[in-house]
Amino acid sequence: MSTPGTHVLSHADQAPGGTVLRSSRGIALRGLRAIVRLPSAFFPAMMMPIFQAIAFSGTFFAITKIPGFPTDRSINWFLPLAAVMGSGFSGVGVGFTTIRDLESGFFDRLRMAPVPRTALVIGPLLAVWVRTLLVLAAVTVVGVLFGARLTGGPMALLTLAAAGLGTATIGAGWSLGLAYRFRDMRAAALMQLGLFNAIFLTNAQAPLNVMTGWLHAVAKVNPFTNILRLGRQGFLGDVTWDGSWGGLVAIAVLTALAWLFAQTGLRRLDA
Amino acid sequence: MSLHVDISLRLGTLDIEATLDVQPGEVVALLGPNGAGKSTTVRMLTTLLRPTAGRATVAGFDVATQANDVRRSIGVALQDAAIDPLMTGRELLDLQAVLYGIAPSAVRTRGDELLERVGLTAAADRRVGTYSGGMRRRLDLALSLIHQPTVLFLDEPTTGLDPMSRITLWEEVRRLNREGTTVLLTTQYLEEADQLADRVAIIDHGRIVREGTPTALKAEVGAPTLQVSVAADHVETARDVLARFGELRPTPEGTLGVGLSGGATVVTDVVRALDDAGAPVHHLELNEPSLDDVFAEATGYRLEGAGS
Repeated sequence: MSTPGTHVLSHADQAPGGTVLRSSRGIALRGLRAIVRLPSAFFPAMMMPIFQAIAFSGTFFAITKIPGFPTDRSINWFLPLAAVMGSGFSGVGVGFTTIRDLESGFFDRLRMAPVPRTALVIGPLLAVWVRTLLVLAAVTVVGVLFGARLTGGPMALLTLAAAGLGTATIGAGWSLGLAYRFRDMRAAALMQLGLFNAIFLTNAQAPLNVMTGWLHAVAKVNPFTNILRLGRQGFLGDVTWDGSWGGLVAIAVLTALAWLFAQTGLRRLDA
Repeated sequence: MSLHVDISLRLGTLDIEATLDVQPGEVVALLGPNGAGKSTTVRMLTTLLRPTAGRATVAGFDVATQANDVRRSIGVALQDAAIDPLMTGRELLDLQAVLYGIAPSAVRTRGDELLERVGLTAAADRRVGTYSGGMRRRLDLALSLIHQPTVLFLDEPTTGLDPMSRITLWEEVRRLNREGTTVLLTTQYLEEADQLADRVAIIDHGRIVREGTPTALKAEVGAPTLQVSVAADHVETARDVLARFGELRPTPEGTLGVGLSGGATVVTDVVRALDDAGAPVHHLELNEPSLDDVFAEATGYRLEGAGS
C-alpha cells in the first residue's frame, strides 16, 4: 500500500448513484469484453447456428420437393431458423452469465450499487443485442456463401434481424427470470429446454400445411411460428406487412411477458 | 449515529436477533465463528437481505425503506472479494465509479488514487484472475472506497490471507478510521478484533452475547486462566482439585482450565494440590484474560479451535 497520508479519503455526503443509461452501458461493456477475453464461451454459440443451417439444408435438401414448398433452396428455409435459434441462445447466454455472477457474488456488487434496478437488466440486454447481431451476421454471410438468396432484397435482412433480436430479447428475459429465481445452475436446463422447445414446436422443420396431428395444432398457435414467418419471409418471397405483423405482435407480447418475469425475479431477489 | 441495529431475521435454521449501535468514527468488530450470523447481519445492513422484523438504520437511513440512500453512503467489501477475473483492476474501478455516479472527468483520477493507495498501480492493467488473494482483497477495498463512503463494511477482510497481507490490510483499515471512516467488520480472528476494534460485539447463534471495548470485556473476565494438562485417567480428579481454586473455564480439548482468582501467586499451590491428589501436571500455562476467555465465558466454548 502507499505511504500513509499520500491520499487522504475525504468523505462525500452521499454518492450520486449511477444513471440507467450510464450504468447499463458500463454493465453491457463488461459483457462484451467477455466475448474478446473468453472467446471459447462465445465461439460455440456462433458456430452452432452456422453448423445447423449448413447441416440441415444439406441433410434435408429433398424437402424442397414437397408440393407447394415455398422455396427451391433448402438453405433458404433453414438459414432463418438457424439464425433465430442462434439468436435465442445468445439471449439465454445472459442467464448463464448471471448465474455465474450470482454464484461468485459479483451480482451482489451490482445489487449493492445505488443504481436503478432497471440498469441491471438493460445492461445485459444491450450486450445480448450486440452478440446477437454478430451471430446473425455470421449465419447470414455463411448462408449466402452456401447458396442462400435474399428474395426479399435488403428488407430480408431487416426482418431477419427483427426476428433474431426479438427472440434474443425474449430468451434473455426468460433466462434472467429463471436465474434470479433459482440462483444456481439448476436453471440452466430449463433456460435451454424452454427456448428450444418453443422454437422447435413451430413450423421450424416443415411448412404448416404439411404438418399433421398435435405438432400441427401446437405449431399453429405457437407465437414463435409467427416470429419465424417474420424472419423467413425475405428468404421465401417478398417482405410484406401480412407476413410481418403477426411476428411483431408476438415479439412485443412475449418480450413484455419475459421481461415481467425477469423484473419480478429481480424484485424477489431483493426482497 | 452511524448505525443503529435492532433487527431480526429467520433464514433457514438461523434465527438472528441483533441489537447494536455504532457511533461515527468507531471501528466495531462482530466476532464469532462461522455460522454465527455475522455475514447475514452484514448482508441485512448492506441492503442485500431484508430483516423480517425490527429496524436498522445506516448513516441515518432505514435499510428496508431507504435502501438506495443506504447504498449511496456505504462501502462494502464482502467475504469472497467477488471480482470478475476477466476484467482488469482499472476496468473494475471504472465500472464501480460508473455505478456510483462518479463524474466521468473524475473517474480516472479517483481510480489512480485508489490504485496507488492500495499498492496496485503496477498491476492495474492486469486481469484480476492473475492477482493473488491479498491483491484481490486490496482491490476489493479500493472498489468499496470509490465514492468516499462514510461507513465501511468489511466482511472477514483477512480470512485466507497470509500474515503479511493481513497486517497490511489492518494498517489500511486503521488509516481509513483515522480519516474518519466508521468501520463495521466481521471476523473470526480474536487478534484481528483485539487489534482493530474500538468495540467488540461477540455474536453466537445469531445473538450478540457480549459487547464492549476489548479492555472492558477482558476486565469483566477478571482472573487469569490457568490451563493444565494431566494424564487422561486423572482428568476427573484434576477437575475436582481445580474447582477449589476458582471457576472452571472452557479450554481446548485435552486440557482443563480454571479462572485463578489468586493469580500467579497460587500457581504453586495448584500444582502441589494436584500432585497430592495423584494427578501430576504434564503441562501448564497461565494466560491473562483474552478475548477468547471473554468469548468462552459468554458462549461456553472457545473460538480458537471451534472448527471455524
